[in-house]
Amino acid sequence: MAYKDFREFLTKLEQEGQLLNIHDEVKPEPDIAAATNAMSKLGQETPAMLFDNIYGYTNARVAMNVMGSWPNHALMMGMPKNTPLKDQFFEFADRYSKFPMPVQREEKAPFHEVEITEDINLFDILPLFRLNQGDGGFYIDKACVISRDLDDPEHFGKQNVGIYRMQVKGKDRLGIQPVPQHDIAIHLRQAEERGENLPVVIALGNEPAITTAAATPLLYDQSEYEMAGAIQGEPYRIVKAKDSSLDIPWGAEVVLEGELLAGVREFEGPFGEFTGHYSGGRSMPIIKINRVYHRANPIFEHLYIGMPWTETDYMIGVNTSVPLYQQLKEAYPNEIVAVNAMYTHGLVAIVSTKRRYGGFAKAVGMRAMTTPHGLGYCKLVIVVDEDVDPFNLPQVMWALSTKMHPKHDAVIIPDLSVLPLDPGSSPAGISHKMILDATTPLAPETRGHYSQPLDSPLDVDKWEKRLRELMQ
Amino acid sequence: MMHTCPRCESKADLMAKSPVEGAWEVYMCPVCIFTWRSIEPESITKPEKYNRAFKVDPADIPLAENVPPLPAKYVNK
Repeated sequence: MAYKDFREFLTKLEQEGQLLNIHDEVKPEPDIAAATNAMSKLGQETPAMLFDNIYGYTNARVAMNVMGSWPNHALMMGMPKNTPLKDQFFEFADRYSKFPMPVQREEKAPFHEVEITEDINLFDILPLFRLNQGDGGFYIDKACVISRDLDDPEHFGKQNVGIYRMQVKGKDRLGIQPVPQHDIAIHLRQAEERGENLPVVIALGNEPAITTAAATPLLYDQSEYEMAGAIQGEPYRIVKAKDSSLDIPWGAEVVLEGELLAGVREFEGPFGEFTGHYSGGRSMPIIKINRVYHRANPIFEHLYIGMPWTETDYMIGVNTSVPLYQQLKEAYPNEIVAVNAMYTHGLVAIVSTKRRYGGFAKAVGMRAMTTPHGLGYCKLVIVVDEDVDPFNLPQVMWALSTKMHPKHDAVIIPDLSVLPLDPGSSPAGISHKMILDATTPLAPETRGHYSQPLDSPLDVDKWEKRLRELMQ
Repeated sequence: MMHTCPRCESKADLMAKSPVEGAWEVYMCPVCIFTWRSIEPESITKPEKYNRAFKVDPADIPLAENVPPLPAKYVNK
């Protein structure tokens, strides 16, 4: 099922008891970030939060933690909120395989209600605030940023929808972080080689399918809009921008049209990142905003990012694991069972696999490191047997405890590529990587004493089902 | 009234005033782009109390790494 816009998703969350309305007066700093950080400490089933009484504002509303739990992630896909994580993973993988879903084009959108082209002041339009104490300013970090390939502008799939951190650096200016691995950096490079500015659109407050697709490591020529349609099981609705040929999510609360300025870099940061560390100050590109639209009394959706786990980790957990799973299955279709790459965007990944012969699991670990996402992540790959659930960390720890022999099963590969934000990389962007093979040795690798694994009493599955019914 | 950037101690500009009159103001430093609200804790707003590890020396700003790198045509102009 599809949510037509951000508000419809909030309504669904409220109906399911997964939205907490906070009417207490809060200060922009530190209250909103502090409350969201605190919410992340309360477990994996926390609600979204909607603040509507913010000191100094008359009618501002701020939504936080919208996808910051597994129930909210399940509701994003239209599944029951108590769906187990592993089931969400396999459902997501099934929908991912239905890509591409054609889009549905519209002429008008709710965000056309209010339009501003003169005296734009982002500080007046959005209730901006600081997230972490060392941040260099007020950021926008959950918006969809849309741009096109200038050398192939008709290729719909090469239009990119991505989520990038943006520092508000003036009334109509944003700083943006397009690291070279990001698709938008390819578009910026094309524009700068031509000496032209790059048109961009920024859409804030979207229904969650496009946010999920935008945060999924798709291939360069795969459309996030066609993936959002596959995820929600219905064509995704888009509407054209006025100042460019870019397509915009129909259900957005606020839309900014502008251009990335060719040849400009300006001091940016620091910013508390998903690695649980601040990135230092660097010089990054600038976006000039020329046009703003928004719904009347828009809701500002924001994302608290900080020491994991936060909403970010729920937002990029399953949708990072599934592409790795699919790419591993392309190589080993009969063996790969499941992939959990949810730890710091997949810096640590766990692969559950069958094995054909001794040594096989180590090859699976190396293949994970050579997938497109693995080139920047997968610093540690733990490989477990097919009957170990990679989403069940006690089971994974059991496998490491009993199946892994450090002499044979710990493999270090020197000086591979990793994302530069990894604070352990040295130089930034280079790190050794490691495979821990926690699978049972298999011939011709005969070692250890594994011939008598414990079985379970009869009828455990029947009882598990019955107990779930009794506990409903 | 002059506002001093708590991070690099340059002179800062007024960016916004609260919709509710007199609640707060937002300032931005044109040198290091630090942005803050007048009612934030003193560890954010006061130069002498700002976290020393996060202070910025204006002389270091032109040395910051370009991310992504600039194409050659824009360098040394």
